[in-house]
Amino acid sequence: MGTTRRQFIGQTAGLGVLLGAGIPLLGACGGDDDEGGAVTDAIKDGLEPEAGPLRIFNYADYVNPDTVASFEEQYGVKVEITTFDVDAEAITKLANGSVEIDVHNSAAPNSLNRLIAGGILQPLNKSYLTNFDNLLPSFVDPWYDKGSKYTVPYTVFSSGIAYRNDRVDPAQVEEMGWDILWDPTYKGVTSILDDYREGISLALLRAGITDVNTTDKAQIEQAGADLSELVKTMNIKVNIEAYKDIPEGATDLAHTWSGDMLAGVWYMPEGTDASVLGWWYPSDGVGVVNNDCMTITANAKNPVLGHLWINHLLDTANAEENFGWNGYLPPIKGLDADYLIANEYAPENLRSAVLTNEIIDKGLRFEPLPVDADRLWEETWSKFTAG
Amino acid sequence: MKRGRFGALAIITWLYVLWSLVPVLIAVRISFNSGKSRSAFQSMSMRWYWEDPSSVWRSDELQTALTNTLKLAGLTMLIATPLGVAMAIGLQRWRGKMSRGANNLMLLPLVTPEIVVGVSLFLVFTQIYTSVPRGFTTQLLGHVTFTISYVVIIVRGRLLSIGIHFEEAARDLGATRIQAMRLVLLPQLGPAIFASLMVVFATSVDDFVISSFLSTGSSTETVPIKIYSTARAAATPNVNALATVMLLITLAAVMVAWLAMRLLRRGGVDSDASLTSMSI
Amino acid sequence: MAAPGTLWLVALFVVPSYAILAVAFGDIDPILRTAAPHWNPVSWDFTAMRGVLDRVFFGDLRHVFVRTGLFALASLAGCCLIGYPVAYYVARSARRSRGALLALLVLPFWISYLMRMLAWVNLLQTDGYVNRVLGWTHLGSGSRNWLDGDWPTVVFGLIYGYIPFFILPLYAALERLDGRLIEASRDLGASKIWTFIRVTLPLSIPGLMAASVIIVLPMCGDYYTNTYLTGGSPRTEMVGNQIEFFLRGSSQPQTGAALVIILMIFLMVLMAYYLVTIARSQREGARA
Repeated sequence: MGTTRRQFIGQTAGLGVLLGAGIPLLGACGGDDDEGGAVTDAIKDGLEPEAGPLRIFNYADYVNPDTVASFEEQYGVKVEITTFDVDAEAITKLANGSVEIDVHNSAAPNSLNRLIAGGILQPLNKSYLTNFDNLLPSFVDPWYDKGSKYTVPYTVFSSGIAYRNDRVDPAQVEEMGWDILWDPTYKGVTSILDDYREGISLALLRAGITDVNTTDKAQIEQAGADLSELVKTMNIKVNIEAYKDIPEGATDLAHTWSGDMLAGVWYMPEGTDASVLGWWYPSDGVGVVNNDCMTITANAKNPVLGHLWINHLLDTANAEENFGWNGYLPPIKGLDADYLIANEYAPENLRSAVLTNEIIDKGLRFEPLPVDADRLWEETWSKFTAG
Repeated sequence: MKRGRFGALAIITWLYVLWSLVPVLIAVRISFNSGKSRSAFQSMSMRWYWEDPSSVWRSDELQTALTNTLKLAGLTMLIATPLGVAMAIGLQRWRGKMSRGANNLMLLPLVTPEIVVGVSLFLVFTQIYTSVPRGFTTQLLGHVTFTISYVVIIVRGRLLSIGIHFEEAARDLGATRIQAMRLVLLPQLGPAIFASLMVVFATSVDDFVISSFLSTGSSTETVPIKIYSTARAAATPNVNALATVMLLITLAAVMVAWLAMRLLRRGGVDSDASLTSMSI
Repeated sequence: MAAPGTLWLVALFVVPSYAILAVAFGDIDPILRTAAPHWNPVSWDFTAMRGVLDRVFFGDLRHVFVRTGLFALASLAGCCLIGYPVAYYVARSARRSRGALLALLVLPFWISYLMRMLAWVNLLQTDGYVNRVLGWTHLGSGSRNWLDGDWPTVVFGLIYGYIPFFILPLYAALERLDGRLIEASRDLGASKIWTFIRVTLPLSIPGLMAASVIIVLPMCGDYYTNTYLTGGSPRTEMVGNQIEFFLRGSSQPQTGAALVIILMIFLMVLMAYYLVTIARSQREGARA
């Protein structure tokens, strides 16, 4: 499979050049599979679900086991979840055919074009997605997949600052914004996300640069230098553990995902109330917003079941149940801050961590970077983490 | 030797044993946490053993991981040990440049960082040896590859201390080469073989990097993979419960093996030499 | 009889090692940006390697290599200080109790390494048991943040993780050591310490070297001990972390593979030194 894929990509090298130049190709690669790279034919309408097991590719602990169990019960099949740690790892394994998967449950929008052009995903047949209309309007025709041909969003989250309001004054966080992560008063108790796009964007935003997809060498390098400063002045930690470090008090201020803080409520030690958790996101709405996408692989053995799975998670009650477990917000109508707080899924003090339509629409998105710029981002990150 | 002579050494040794065991006890204790946290202990509960939907008892995934790990370690043990024993005997008797080459080659996997072995095996299985069924088979091949050397080293140490005289005596008394090996050499290698089995099993059970590179999906995930996957939305003490269950199973297996050894043991072979022979 | 094992290692160790070269000097897939190895050396491209060499010898990665080496050396020193007495004690203790002692030494192996590291994170937290014990005994302030990304914690973790692999081979070497030599030395009037320095220690050098090689080389490729014990502080970044980032999570696997090659060359030099020393001591041993 690996070899065939490579040969096949050789034939479509022209496509790669275009992608390398950062020209969005989505929707432009119609036509015959054998030439175009992308798979363009969805499954037929009205097929019977397969016998399973349905094989799902996902981050670890990213879906409620109860939600999985109810799907298994409803369709009388087994669900097997395979986990990956980082997006690049998922792409490598899918590309090499070293994992056998029906549903890639958490594809990142900024690498979707690669998965589609590489012929790894198949288009969706909406006739199976009877709950599609439950999606928030912003996600019906998203920028990264016009017409929702290949994807349905799974969760949406913003990147902001999580903090302990009993140790850091909320007014201070509000006033300083991103700068607070550079304030030596908080040396030794801060962390930032271990993700090169997130980390460098943090430094860009702090410097007032809102192009989080910049290819400008000077800007990227300056962002890297700003991050490196954190090593000395702040003794910064680089990880994705804020979901527990903030509730447990090991860290007071963390650059992290909104979903982590909502999940963090479940990690409060006994005797500490979740009301000590705080969340900051730029009040002008200019921050990073991202989402994960559910997709079906081109070589899925259970494509019908895959569609049913996606539809299962588009169901409002299931989405609510899933959110209650993992803290990451499904972009489904009705699951807004008022509702979630009233039903005790989230505490009032984390209201701002539940994304509003306005925040979603205003949010800056990570787009695919051209190959050279991507390398520059990676190298800059590697220089920062090298200490 | 007088007892007092070892006073200071004894204290250091016992402190060391304590030091090495404390984290094990902590990890076991966390498995009884009633909360979701793997560090903040709330109260005693069996939640992660059988109450929670993701507990060891109720999660098929964790049980698959457990059986995979044990199956993988068991088979690795059964393949790597005979290969390694044969290689050790062969290397001891084989002289010349080629032998030295094989000898140095054998040492390399011991000192190669696991991530390097993992990546290179992943590439080879996906691009060169494509006819090998991926998943369990490739994981098994990978585990055998990085454990053979331990066996060779352990067995060779023992071989050196046994010497060749017994076998020569047997040959003089009319035994064939194979008889001499089977009746004289192998029984004497007993403790070293036992030690090899243990070390191979332990190394395989603990491996995360290679298993994860060669895993093809949830049906081929192992316990260490489960433990390591603390991704975005966090792991719970269910993995501690899983590790505890595995610890108990392993301990039970070792006890059974040890008792069996004692029962089967014939005069002259002391079992406490089991790890005696580990050296380069 | 060595043939099956040797063939196995050639097929599954030597050939895969070549794959690392093919990646380092290869290309990336134009669309997916995953590794596209060049198996034929004729088409090898050395750009990535040159870039990495430049960073290793003249740039930011030099610190990472130096730091990794220092961590490994410090850990080795710690292992010698703790591991030698333990191995010596077990080797010289009565045969009856030795089995039980050895079993205790191997016991931590039975629970996952990662699990034990997580337990240490737990113990070393600001309000963890380590600080509580230090507070009660007044040995320390009891409020130190051990997980703050300082190097001693990482070295501590490395010692903890690797020391069993150090003790076992050393024990085997000491166990085979002829007790009569030590007694002879004592009978001839040498003090305990003098006997140790002049007799025991020199005789155990080969075992000590073997034990050191077994732990130091893999330590240089470690990437999870420091991640766990410092919450990911760039101040304790090791070569393994950089390799992991580039090989697993980036669009330039060549850089990762090039780093692997450079690391392996350093390790091979250490290994060669060890082999030469051992060969020399064996020759001397044969002459004596």
